[in-house]
Amino acid sequence: MELYEYSAHKLSKMLSEKKCSSEEITKSVLDRAAATDEKVGAYLTVCEENALKKAREVDEKRGRETLHPLAGIPIGIKDNISTKGLLTTCASKMLYNYVPPFDAFVMKKVNAADMVVTGKLNMDEFAMGSSTENSYFKKTHNPHNLDCVPGGSSGGSAAAVAAGSAVISLGSDTGGSIRMPASYCGVVGLKPTYGSVSRYGLVAFASSLDQIGPFGRSVTDTAMLYSVICGHDNMDATSADREYPDFTALLNSDVKGLKIGIPEEYYGEGVDNSVKETVMNAVKELEKRGAEIVNILLPSTKYALNAYYIISSAEASSNLARFDGVKYGYRTENFTDLTDMYEKTRSEGFGDEVKRRIMLGTFVLSSGFFDAYYKKAKLVALDIVKEFNSAFGKCDVIATPATPATAFRLGENIGDPTKMYAADICTVTVNIAGLPAISVPCGKVNDMPVGLQFIGRKFSEQILLNSAFAVENIFGESKPINV
Amino acid sequence: MEYETIVGLEVHAELNTKTKIYCNCKNAFGLEVNTQICPICTGMPGTLPTLNEKVVEYAVKMGHATNCSINNVCKQDRKNYFYPDLPKAYQISQSDIPLCEHGYVDIMLNGEEKRIGITRIHIEEDAGKMLHNDAFQGSLVDFNRCGVPLIEIVSEPDMRSSAEAKAYLDTLKSILQYIDISDCKMEQGSIRCDVNVSVRPKGSTEFGKRVEMKNVNSFSGAMRAIDYEANRQIEALERGEEINQETRRWDDQKGVNVLLRTKEDAQDYRYFPEPDLTTIYVPLEKVEELKNDIPELPNAKIKRYVKVLGLSQIDAELIAENLPRCRLFDECVKICGYFGKDSVSPKNLSNWVLGDVSKYMNETGKDIADTPLDANLLCKIVELIETKVISNTSGKVIFEEIMNGNTDIDKIIEDKGLRQISDDSAIEKIVNDVLAANQKSVDDYRGGKTNALGFLVGQCMKASKGQANPAKCKELVLKYLNG
Amino acid sequence: MSIDVKHLARLARLRIEDDKLAKFEKDMESIVAMVEQLPEVSGDASGLDPEHPMKLREDKEGTDKLTRNELLANAPKMQAGCVVVPKTVE
Repeated sequence: MELYEYSAHKLSKMLSEKKCSSEEITKSVLDRAAATDEKVGAYLTVCEENALKKAREVDEKRGRETLHPLAGIPIGIKDNISTKGLLTTCASKMLYNYVPPFDAFVMKKVNAADMVVTGKLNMDEFAMGSSTENSYFKKTHNPHNLDCVPGGSSGGSAAAVAAGSAVISLGSDTGGSIRMPASYCGVVGLKPTYGSVSRYGLVAFASSLDQIGPFGRSVTDTAMLYSVICGHDNMDATSADREYPDFTALLNSDVKGLKIGIPEEYYGEGVDNSVKETVMNAVKELEKRGAEIVNILLPSTKYALNAYYIISSAEASSNLARFDGVKYGYRTENFTDLTDMYEKTRSEGFGDEVKRRIMLGTFVLSSGFFDAYYKKAKLVALDIVKEFNSAFGKCDVIATPATPATAFRLGENIGDPTKMYAADICTVTVNIAGLPAISVPCGKVNDMPVGLQFIGRKFSEQILLNSAFAVENIFGESKPINV
Repeated sequence: MEYETIVGLEVHAELNTKTKIYCNCKNAFGLEVNTQICPICTGMPGTLPTLNEKVVEYAVKMGHATNCSINNVCKQDRKNYFYPDLPKAYQISQSDIPLCEHGYVDIMLNGEEKRIGITRIHIEEDAGKMLHNDAFQGSLVDFNRCGVPLIEIVSEPDMRSSAEAKAYLDTLKSILQYIDISDCKMEQGSIRCDVNVSVRPKGSTEFGKRVEMKNVNSFSGAMRAIDYEANRQIEALERGEEINQETRRWDDQKGVNVLLRTKEDAQDYRYFPEPDLTTIYVPLEKVEELKNDIPELPNAKIKRYVKVLGLSQIDAELIAENLPRCRLFDECVKICGYFGKDSVSPKNLSNWVLGDVSKYMNETGKDIADTPLDANLLCKIVELIETKVISNTSGKVIFEEIMNGNTDIDKIIEDKGLRQISDDSAIEKIVNDVLAANQKSVDDYRGGKTNALGFLVGQCMKASKGQANPAKCKELVLKYLNG
Repeated sequence: MSIDVKHLARLARLRIEDDKLAKFEKDMESIVAMVEQLPEVSGDASGLDPEHPMKLREDKEGTDKLTRNELLANAPKMQAGCVVVPKTVE
């Protein structure tokens, strides 16, 4: 078995027992990336030299210093997370040459834990999309079937972990951008509670919804990485000031007495029958192990997608206004005056999907439309929060499909934005309510992975990880896919 | 037809906090271009704002000082527009819930008091600075001023002339200085204003269409801009034209304004709540505490000076308009009152403060705080004069010595022999000697040339080396001449 | 509802070329037709939450400042320590 095939928690143990070195692991992962990435297309930037240098440094430190359990473990980073001195493009022409002069909060944490950054991972441009087809640079393919999309927007992060070209990775989730690709690629992805991971240095798409989170091939790896990145940051006014437990140490697959809520709205029209069945089978397995199934109602779910696209696009239209060719990134070659420079730069620098969202956001905020769209969407969001609160009076976690279907084929939805948007129906409510949710593999339909989503109360990540751990105990940890 | 001018003002004042409003960069003026900047105030992707607590406190203080109600629960909003000096392409400001609203200030004009309504006061960030020069390959942007904290003070359209507007601006400025939240340096642009002008036939109660003027950079410029615009509108109405609601740009050098944009091109700022910042909450105890911090304000001071201390209106205003001056005066009054030195009258203190002290400050350009003079020393000088220990002339000598760093008044009096002679027999001897030596002048006086008296008294003073009490000399000379 | 794509593009400093306009209009109309399906709701949408107020920053200067060159290294065009844009006044 090659080193890249092991999970992070196994590698951590092997490192501490001196059965291998970080340099060997890093080399194995980089080789794997070299061997697979032409087909998978997960990486935008591979930093081979820096990664090996860092790995050797960590190897040298080992034995002399107490190291973090993830020290020396390779990690891939979504390309919208600012990495000091390392290209951060958001998969956009607009930032094709942008090198941040500072590290994101999570990168400071990752570096402090002595993890080895192997590179930056592909995504939908500015995290807008559900297939990673919106990247300016390349398309990422699903390792389970190269004709299929890996999901999005963190498609590179999920595909790399699934293919073994990364052991673990970081992504971001604004409306499902971690959970959907995790589900499509058959890996574990956690979207943490809003405020538990600092957004400082995450290039903003929708500030009130964005959250950075971990990917892993196992729940344990995901818990370990989440423990690294969570925590209060006084640079982020929306960061929660609280203490976090050691999620890994507290992992427990015992579901006796766990009340699992099943909302009928997530099992209705628009959700593939075989996906529903696969998810419900997994839930029933948990019931056999002592969990209790409770039927709940979340009636505002039917408006969630609409509210989500209004709120996220409104914020995006403002967040992406700073890309104007003045301070960084792309600037058009020829222009006559300031307005011409702005318009050409932005028209040439952004892809069509980003333009559509900016225009939708501009529209819903514009004079005369604000109340009918933005304000209404915010009120719907409040209803969604209320319904979740009352549901969590009856259950501990809510179980749903992470996606309405398994991965679709490349190009299948690209011409029809609303059809593409519908892929987010199972995930957006969680961002609107600021809740944590996890997607864990629970079987396959037609050889393509299906993800079970657990949604929890704010800051109930431990319960989610434990629930996912119980599912993993039934279906097994994921292994790198042959491509 | 007779017309009435209606003026409303939007005043922007830079706050003198140590750091900027949303980042911990130094808040300073005049430093080398682009040296007081960081990733946050230059709008780098992924950066987030954090609100400076002093900015909130200062704005609440201004709210108290202008009799506003305080919205102790409020938020910030984004104002979206593109310009190179605005790196994020939105200004963080406040829209529907300002920190302070519904207040007023009383202004004095020609001895009459008038109340001007304050619509609202809100906090926001300043933009950077555009630099223009033929040697440049375009316009240059200096980001140092980006994120400098501002309060915007919006008045009701309560002013009826440029003189009232000037009085209002002067009042605001002195309040800002009194509560020490702004340096109020016009030449550095730390107070700027936008002017709204409309006219209507006298007697009418309806408002005319209002014109907003930008680029008004001084208080005197505001007067010129208002007068010009009011005339322009009146002339247009006289010609039978209609006034359009529009924005015009004031050119103070040419003394004219030009159309900037019409109502139809009005910018659509697409305000929405700033998602990177959450609720601003100032506990009511803190609101009260800040209220108690407000010192006696200029209007109250002037009233007290006139009514309690018996100063003239003009002297009271002169003292109150300058903060260091009124601080010195108030302290002197307090010291003299405290020690029961009834002999030191406020009137004499005011003469000194407005006379020698102000003259010295004006001539040297120094602040009182930068000189050795303090209230104790000034009180002592005035007291020594009033109790006839020294002459007024000697008082001036002592004042000069103090300003040169010699603050031991008793020693100055001894060293320079400034003690005044009030002993009758000593003065009588001097008078006798002088009269004997100036028989011609004695004859002149007796022959009807009464101005010889002044000469003779002067000779007595000279003979006493200035130490004789002049009144006493005069009394004795007269006694002899008429005797 | 018909959407004035050109107006929105102008507000957002985008330029939609004529050959793409029809497609953008169609897309925008179908997106708006989707998202506008919202229930009749009313209430306070300001989102104020005084029970969970924001922690404000102490007014204290930071020490770990980046230099001008580090901060503006990404600028497309520089002169005299400043970023350069097309002339904004004549």
